[in-house]
Amino acid sequence: MRNLKSIVGLTLVAAFVVLAAFAPALAPYDPLRSSVNMVDSPSFSHWFGTDELGRDILSRVIYGARTSLIIGFGAATCAMLIGVPIGMMAGYLRGGFDLVAVPLIDLFIALPGLVLALIITVMVGPSLMNLVLVLGFVMWPTIARLVRGQTLAVRETLYIEAARAVGGTPGWIIRRHVWPNIMRVVAAQFAISVSAAIFTSASLSFLGLGIPPPTPDWGGLVRVGFDFLSLNPLMSLGPGAAVTFTVMGFYLAGSSVE
Amino acid sequence: MITMIVRRLLTALPTIAASTALLFFSVTVILGSPAGMMLGQDASPQAIAALNEKYGFDRPALVQYGAWVANAFQGDLGRSFTTQQSVSRAITDCIPVTIELTLWSILLAASAAIVLNTIPVFKRTLTGATTLANLIGITVPNFMLGISLIFLFSVWLGWLPSNGWAPWSDGAGEHLRRMIMPVLTLSAYYFGAFSIVYRAEYRDVAQRMFIQVALAKGLSEWKVAFKHALPNAVLPVITFVGISMGQLTGGAVVTETVFSMPGTGRLFVSAISGHDFPVVLAVGMLVVTGVIVMNLLADIAYTIANPQIRFD
Repeated sequence: MRNLKSIVGLTLVAAFVVLAAFAPALAPYDPLRSSVNMVDSPSFSHWFGTDELGRDILSRVIYGARTSLIIGFGAATCAMLIGVPIGMMAGYLRGGFDLVAVPLIDLFIALPGLVLALIITVMVGPSLMNLVLVLGFVMWPTIARLVRGQTLAVRETLYIEAARAVGGTPGWIIRRHVWPNIMRVVAAQFAISVSAAIFTSASLSFLGLGIPPPTPDWGGLVRVGFDFLSLNPLMSLGPGAAVTFTVMGFYLAGSSVE
Repeated sequence: MITMIVRRLLTALPTIAASTALLFFSVTVILGSPAGMMLGQDASPQAIAALNEKYGFDRPALVQYGAWVANAFQGDLGRSFTTQQSVSRAITDCIPVTIELTLWSILLAASAAIVLNTIPVFKRTLTGATTLANLIGITVPNFMLGISLIFLFSVWLGWLPSNGWAPWSDGAGEHLRRMIMPVLTLSAYYFGAFSIVYRAEYRDVAQRMFIQVALAKGLSEWKVAFKHALPNAVLPVITFVGISMGQLTGGAVVTETVFSMPGTGRLFVSAISGHDFPVVLAVGMLVVTGVIVMNLLADIAYTIANPQIRFD
């Protein structure tokens, strides 16, 4: 079961990474070039049909993989950079830092991420860079809580006590002993965070607060395609499936580790 | 018990005050005066100043926050910039829709998650299907699920109306018919989350001695699962249901948008895209307060349900 999960997950992840990396070679058309064939149904020359400006939807979905993966990896990295140090410090140092950090983390986790992201995005304005930062900021508490829990467990082990006994400073112990022991779980959480970021950013763009046009972006493609659902269902379900399988891939890859 | 509730209340109140203040200041201070945004880029400084004075944006932020809170306690949340309608009126109109949608969805999701995950641990055949259902619940975005349902049931089969919402006054049949797809969509989102929490706890409980004993003395697997294991594994789901109820608007945003339902989620989205700050602020506060209050209630319910837990 676990094996199947990781195989399916890693295959999906690999497929979308290849799609993003080789988008210019794989996409049949320029994703930004419009034509007079507007809202065409799927055909041999346009597998997913064309959009309201006559652009090839399949090409836009393929290029959209770039946007999504940049946001996913970028936001997950941001969240890690904030969450991991805070979680390790709260878990290892305990005391005052922990007392302040824990309620803050709990409050942020309880707040619906999408609402928070919507409010912050409208304040800073939607752009690729801002979305990465906003989603990173929304997701760090989940990571901090996980890292704190892991650190608490490691902290009580004998080898940490030994390290403390020979005079190791907290900073050195965290780097040399705590971090290597929680790295595996953090890596798994990284993959899950990528999937969460792609999920949330697609929802944001579906609601109209994503990457501004004309950059191809899956959530935005679904939003436009939804208006033409009865004419060409692939216009919205195509990019929608791309979001779903990417999110699924990273989620499976991450959750099969633990 | 009473001490615990009082103590939790005392910590909840400052949290509500702090987070609403944070929300207020970030919406007003970081953006500067909303007047410039309302009038557009070519507005004359005089027009902006006049508008600032009319709405009181020229006062210090702390004074504005104080006034907002004082008015909020009297049920006055200001007027919408775009429709000029009273915000409290708009929210009281929208909130029943969101509450009903969320209640049905959580009810469906929680019972499905509990029942489906209670059966398969003993009956292996179902496990694969349930695992797949969990995965779909967690990873398929709400908009994708909603649009797929619309495509299947409205466009293709023509069984259900594709969007909109009908009040109870249009007849219960019509009302419920339009509720089916939104509830299915939103409950999938909750189902995945409830399932994970319940399943983990259930696995733990199923390992315990009293379950082994019950099985060893010859009770049927179904009886052991539902009468002995289920009640002992259901607690974490209670907390989670509480938190999900608090998120109300947060959870329903996408679903309400897909199905054009007149709830607080869609109100929030249109306010966000129209830079209608009184509405954004009011719904934001509703979300924050809802989350904190429901967390508190969930903790209390948890203590009542499990006497082993004491917070003092």
